[in-house]
Amino acid sequence: MTEIKDAQRLEELRRKHGRLAPDLSAAAEPSPNDDVRSRQPRFCGLESGHRACQGCGEALGARLVSETAGPDVMLSNATGCLEVFTTPYPQSAWRVPFVHSLFENAAAVASGMEAALKAKGKRTKVIAQGGDGGTYDIGFQALSGMLERYHNVLYVCYDNEAYMNTGIQRSGSTPHAASTTTSPAGQERMGKRHLKKDLLSIIAAHHVPYAASASVAFPVDVRRKVRRAMDVEGPTFLAIHSPCPLGWGHDGALTIQIARLAVECGLYPMVEFERGEVVSVMPIRDPKPVTEYLKVQNRYRHLFNDKDPRAREEREHLQALADFNIARYNLKGVGEDVMDTDGLDTVRRGGPVQVM
Amino acid sequence: MSSVLTRSGYADPATSLNFKTGSWRTLRPVHKHATAPCHGACPAGEDQQAWLAKIQENDVRAAWETLVNINPMPAITGRVCPHPCETACNRGQLDQPIAIHNLERWLGDEAIANDWPYPNVPAIDSTRPKVAVIGAGPGGLSAAYHLTRRGYRVTILEALTEAGGLLKSAIPMTRLPRDVLDAEISRVLEVGIDLQLRQRLGRDFQIDELGDEYAAVFLGIGCQKSREWSVGGAVPADLHEGLHLLKGWVDHLSMPEAERVVVHGGGNTAVDLCRIMKRKGAAEVTLITASGLPGPDTEPDDVLNVVPRELDEALEEGVVIIPHATIQRLIMRGSRVVGVEMVSLKKLPGKSGRKERIAFEGTERVVATDMVVPCIGEVVDPEGVADLLHGGSYLRARDPFGHLEDHPNVFVGGDARGDRGTVSAAIGDGRLAAAAIDSYLSDTPLPDLTPRPPIPYAGLNLHYYEKKARVPVPKVPPERRTDDLEIEGAVAGAAAIAEAHRCFSCGNCLACDNCWTLCPDNAVIKTAQLASDGSHYLFDYDFCKGCGICATECPCGYIEMIAEP
Repeated sequence: MTEIKDAQRLEELRRKHGRLAPDLSAAAEPSPNDDVRSRQPRFCGLESGHRACQGCGEALGARLVSETAGPDVMLSNATGCLEVFTTPYPQSAWRVPFVHSLFENAAAVASGMEAALKAKGKRTKVIAQGGDGGTYDIGFQALSGMLERYHNVLYVCYDNEAYMNTGIQRSGSTPHAASTTTSPAGQERMGKRHLKKDLLSIIAAHHVPYAASASVAFPVDVRRKVRRAMDVEGPTFLAIHSPCPLGWGHDGALTIQIARLAVECGLYPMVEFERGEVVSVMPIRDPKPVTEYLKVQNRYRHLFNDKDPRAREEREHLQALADFNIARYNLKGVGEDVMDTDGLDTVRRGGPVQVM
Repeated sequence: MSSVLTRSGYADPATSLNFKTGSWRTLRPVHKHATAPCHGACPAGEDQQAWLAKIQENDVRAAWETLVNINPMPAITGRVCPHPCETACNRGQLDQPIAIHNLERWLGDEAIANDWPYPNVPAIDSTRPKVAVIGAGPGGLSAAYHLTRRGYRVTILEALTEAGGLLKSAIPMTRLPRDVLDAEISRVLEVGIDLQLRQRLGRDFQIDELGDEYAAVFLGIGCQKSREWSVGGAVPADLHEGLHLLKGWVDHLSMPEAERVVVHGGGNTAVDLCRIMKRKGAAEVTLITASGLPGPDTEPDDVLNVVPRELDEALEEGVVIIPHATIQRLIMRGSRVVGVEMVSLKKLPGKSGRKERIAFEGTERVVATDMVVPCIGEVVDPEGVADLLHGGSYLRARDPFGHLEDHPNVFVGGDARGDRGTVSAAIGDGRLAAAAIDSYLSDTPLPDLTPRPPIPYAGLNLHYYEKKARVPVPKVPPERRTDDLEIEGAVAGAAAIAEAHRCFSCGNCLACDNCWTLCPDNAVIKTAQLASDGSHYLFDYDFCKGCGICATECPCGYIEMIAEP
């Protein structure tokens, strides 16, 4: 009897506050494209209808990861754009199990999921995902603990270099001199004063079997790295550079171009670590000047103010950081290589030229 | 299923499909099939991109069938055409153009070797109208072939004893071997064309008489009469005219001997003649031409109208070419020529806007010579067509289809038009005339010739292509060249397929999956079956937000963003 009373009371409260539960049973309405959609020659982990902005790099990265890793995979997600735009209640864009708990605990939830699956004797792989805020800053200790406890989990960080979901606040991943709402360019500062945290080296220092950086501009490379990480028994980490048209201030059509320039100028090096050692890099065939990458984004607009002497200084600083990356990881390619920045995105009739 | 609102919630998989994000869109992507530069430049109207795509799919026969739907003689044009397609090729701005003529030749040779039947040839229907084609040169053969495929009964009336026209009478075997020529022509005739030889227009029949039997007439009579040549009234007693010499050479290997020869003209005939003279032992062969040599400073309409590799070969063999010059005086001893005085000139726009030849005073110089050969072109032989010439040198048609004024059922194409000059152009004319004849006889509108918009180099996304050198083509070295050994070798098999893969697929779908792979909204659907435009993809406008990534990242410039209707 108590149960019925509770249910009645709940119904009353809902009416009073206009909070009637939507009908979750509604399957997607039929559309003329349903048949052919269901017969695409790839697994679809992240469906259409999500609410990401036009030209969202993170949506593309998550689609690539889920379609490569799925379907036998479970996701745990930190708070952030990805969580918000894929699961607006009462809908979900995912076709794989997906859990969102809190901002800081995606790695901890994934650890528990992995332990539970292990206890049940299942081989389903768990992927934890988050933005750079939930990874570099807020979820960092949970991530570190997950790595240290050696859970069989792939952690994917979609790195768009600021807290985009809450309004473009600077994060530990925001690059030096980028303007955000909490590191605005102006008389006092030329954008963010501090440097981008070298998270990949910190992850590598956990002596994990595999940690790598990737970019949405090179989907063939993203897929290869996801497959590599999924094959490893143990904690693995992947950071995927994902442009944010809103936060970076560029046309959504240029997402791929800008992501490619970030790699080609050396500011976002493509590196793979195993057990703390660099085992592979994506060579840059013809390194581009950083200004080509910077000038197409409004977050660096203040670096092109000819009247401000600090602008030139910061441009040179960013060029020096890029040169430092190129020297540190030996990114300058020697000759033409099918695995370098120009060779990897080569296409022909029938799809990308796959070399691996 | 009911649910209870608590602090947590859940959703069924992929229920976001209920939310049509397509309503956010202000621009929408559409497929736009542009004209690849090769197609735009082809006088025969071939779409090289289309048949290169078939080679890329490893379907060589389908490639040949696509090609011969437009041009029935690829083994011939692959050898003799000056290939403006390669000059226009966008790939030339990255490394080197696709070796289109070598691949075209390969397709033609494969079809001959495997005896592939021409596609879309209907059985002969004795109730259909008959059409007469005068002249069995490239234009006439093309017109007859396309008319036969449109169901007409075609008779070719040829003055000579064999079909082929200038292909047979004036193109050296070193460029076009006779076995290839004969094989391809006989295969074209086998589609059901009635060939009547030794029928000379004006002598054996008149155009007016054809009306009783034939519903329409195509004139592919070419230019059979040499232009009169004299310099200031002086004509050497032993004057040899270029095309006449070349025909004699091709027919029975005769060529007058001379130590020093000056050839005057600017076409393939002139260059062919220079090379034959050189090979026959002339010590000095000089070509004087009013045109320029190909180069960055030469305007396209001022370049010597010669197959580029032929020009290179001529220079290799030691022919001296003097561009931008003309002969202004013959130095005679009695009635024999002993030298020429030439002067520099250029074709410059005059008062009327038309280009005029301007000779530059003070640049006169003398070249000693034993023989002067003019190759200054030919005009239509008026025999049998005097009424149609209206006193002019050519049969001026009023449109690309070859319509003549006052003669609704007579059509003209090829060299006789006066504004053509290549085998490929004649083949293109034959095809268009066939369409016009079909339109006239079936009382249907003419086909629309408005081209699709062109696609420049800047319209491609070059990140997705790699530099790759053009396929090397074997060539007989100058010292081993003979009178009948074909100089350019074949590109075939795997090398040819690899070369076809260099094609950018300008303005048409490459099926590379970029749009499908890079759409953040999963709004590109891969389906060759349902894509009605020949591409492999559909846009799902229910979900496409119009970000434009697909358009930016399409390597071929095949996707355009347009304002939402």
